[in-house]
Amino acid sequence: MLKPALRYLKLAAAYTRLNLRAQLEYRAAFVSQVAAMFLNDAVWVVFWVLFFTRFPVLRGWTVEDVITVWALAAAGFGLANAIWGNAMPLPGLIAQGQLDVWMLYPREVLSHLLLGRMSVTSWGDALFGYVVYIAFVRPDAAHLALFVALTLSVALLFIGFSVLSGSLSFFLGHGGDLADQWRNAMIAFSTYPAVLFDGAVKVLLYTLIPAGFVTYVPIVALQRLSLADAALALAGSVAVLAVGVAVFYLGLRRYESGNLTEMRG
Amino acid sequence: MIATRKYAWLGLTSARSNLAYLAEVAARTLFLGVILFIFLQLWRATYAESGAERLGGLTLPQMLWYLAITEAIILSAPRVSHEVDQEVRTGALAVQLVRPLSYPLARLGMTLGERLVRFALNAGVGALVALVLVGPVPIAPQGLAMFAAALLGAFVLDFLALFLVGLGAFWMEDTSGLALIYSRLTMILGGMLLPLELFPEAVQPLLRALPFAGIVYGPARLFVRPDAAFLADLLVRQGVAVAVFALAVAAVYRAGIGRIHANGG
Repeated sequence: MLKPALRYLKLAAAYTRLNLRAQLEYRAAFVSQVAAMFLNDAVWVVFWVLFFTRFPVLRGWTVEDVITVWALAAAGFGLANAIWGNAMPLPGLIAQGQLDVWMLYPREVLSHLLLGRMSVTSWGDALFGYVVYIAFVRPDAAHLALFVALTLSVALLFIGFSVLSGSLSFFLGHGGDLADQWRNAMIAFSTYPAVLFDGAVKVLLYTLIPAGFVTYVPIVALQRLSLADAALALAGSVAVLAVGVAVFYLGLRRYESGNLTEMRG
Repeated sequence: MIATRKYAWLGLTSARSNLAYLAEVAARTLFLGVILFIFLQLWRATYAESGAERLGGLTLPQMLWYLAITEAIILSAPRVSHEVDQEVRTGALAVQLVRPLSYPLARLGMTLGERLVRFALNAGVGALVALVLVGPVPIAPQGLAMFAAALLGAFVLDFLALFLVGLGAFWMEDTSGLALIYSRLTMILGGMLLPLELFPEAVQPLLRALPFAGIVYGPARLFVRPDAAFLADLLVRQGVAVAVFALAVAAVYRAGIGRIHANGG
C-alpha cells in the first residue's frame, strides 16, 4: 500500500517538475497569470474585510473565520489544479475522445491522466491561500500544521469532485456546460460561511455540492484544534474522491475514441 | 448617417447570432441563480443580526434586486479584450483593417449587440430568481427609462476599457492578467457585492469618482431607487469617463497600428 503510494508521489513530482519547466519557458506570462489570480482572490478578501468592518459578527463567525474559509478553499483548489491540472478539462477530453493516449501507458488511467497538465493560475490560488492564512490569521505552529494538512484534504475533495462532475460527459456526451455549472456552484458555496445555510441546503452541502467539507468541518477542526474533526473532513474528501473514481471507471466502459492523432513531448 | 447604420447593423447581426444559441446561453445563467441564493442568505442574516430595516438605504428585497442587476451587468461582460488580443497577436487585425469600417467602431457595434442580449437574459433570470426569493420591488416606467439610459453609458464605458486592455497585446506577451485585474476592480470598486453606501465613508467620494461605479453601481442603484438628480450626476460622470477612455483608445490604437507589419499570403 505504502510502496505504490510512494511510487505515485514520485510520478506526481516528476510531472509537476516537467510541467513547471514547460510553463516557465514563458516566464513573464507565468508570473503575470499567477499574480493576477492572487489579486483576484485578494479582491474577495477585501470584500469580506469591508463587510466585517461594517457588520463585525455574522452568525457567530468573525472575519478571521471567513478568511480561513477563503484560504482553505484557495489553497486546496490551487494545489489540486496546479498538480492534477487535467481534472478540470476532463469533460472536454472525454467528449472529444482524447483519452486514447493515456490508455496506452502501463499506468492506471485516471491517476496518470490527471497529472498531464498544469493550470498556471492555480499556483496563484495556492500561494494566496497560504499567504493570506499566515498574514491575516497569524497561526501558531500547531494551527499552521493542521491548516496545511486540511488544504491537502480540500485538494483531494476538489480533485474528486472534478472527476465526478467531469465524468458526466461519458453519459451525457457534451456535458461540459452542466459540469461547469455544477463546479461553479461547488466553488461558490466553498467560499461562503456554511453557517449561512440551513435545512435542505445544509444537506446539499454534504452530498450533491459537498462544500461543507471546505467551509464547515475544517473550520471547526481549526477552531478546536481537533484531530477528530480533521479526520471527518478527510473522510468526506476521500468519500467524494471514491465516488468520482467509481463513476469515472463506470463511464470509461462507454468511452469512444475520437481517433485523433496526438503527440506528447 | 450611413456610417452609423453600418455599425448599428453589425450590432444587430451580433445580437441575432447570440440569440441563435439562446438555450446554451440560458443554461449558463443557472450560476446566477446559485449566487443570488447565497447572497440572499448572507444579507438575510445580516439584516436580521443588525436589526435594521434598511442598509445603505435599501430594504432586503431592494438589496437582492440591486445584486441581481449588478450580477447581470458583470456576467454579461463580453470577451472583447480577449478577442482583440487574439486579433492583434495572430495578425487577423490586418484583415479587419482592409474593410471599409473603423475597427474600434465595428467592435463597439458588435459588442453592444452581444451584450444587450446577454444582459437581457441574465437580468431576466436574475429578476425571476429575485421575484421568487423576495418578491417584487416597485418599478415605475420612468425609473426603467433612467436605468436604460445609465446602462447604455455603462456598456460603452466598459467596452472602451476592455478594448484598451485588448490593445495592450501590441506590447505585452499576455493581456489576460490585465483583463482579470480590470474585471476584479470593476467588481469590488464598482459595487457589485456591496452598494457604495456600505463602504467606509472616507472612501465613498473616491469610489463615486472612479469609472467603475458608473458601470455597475450607478445603473443598479437607479433600478432600485430611481432619482433624476442621481441620473444627471451619473450621466455627467459617465460622459467624462467615456471621453477620457475614447481619447486613450484613439491614442493607443494609433500607436499600435503603426507597429503592424503585414506580409503577403
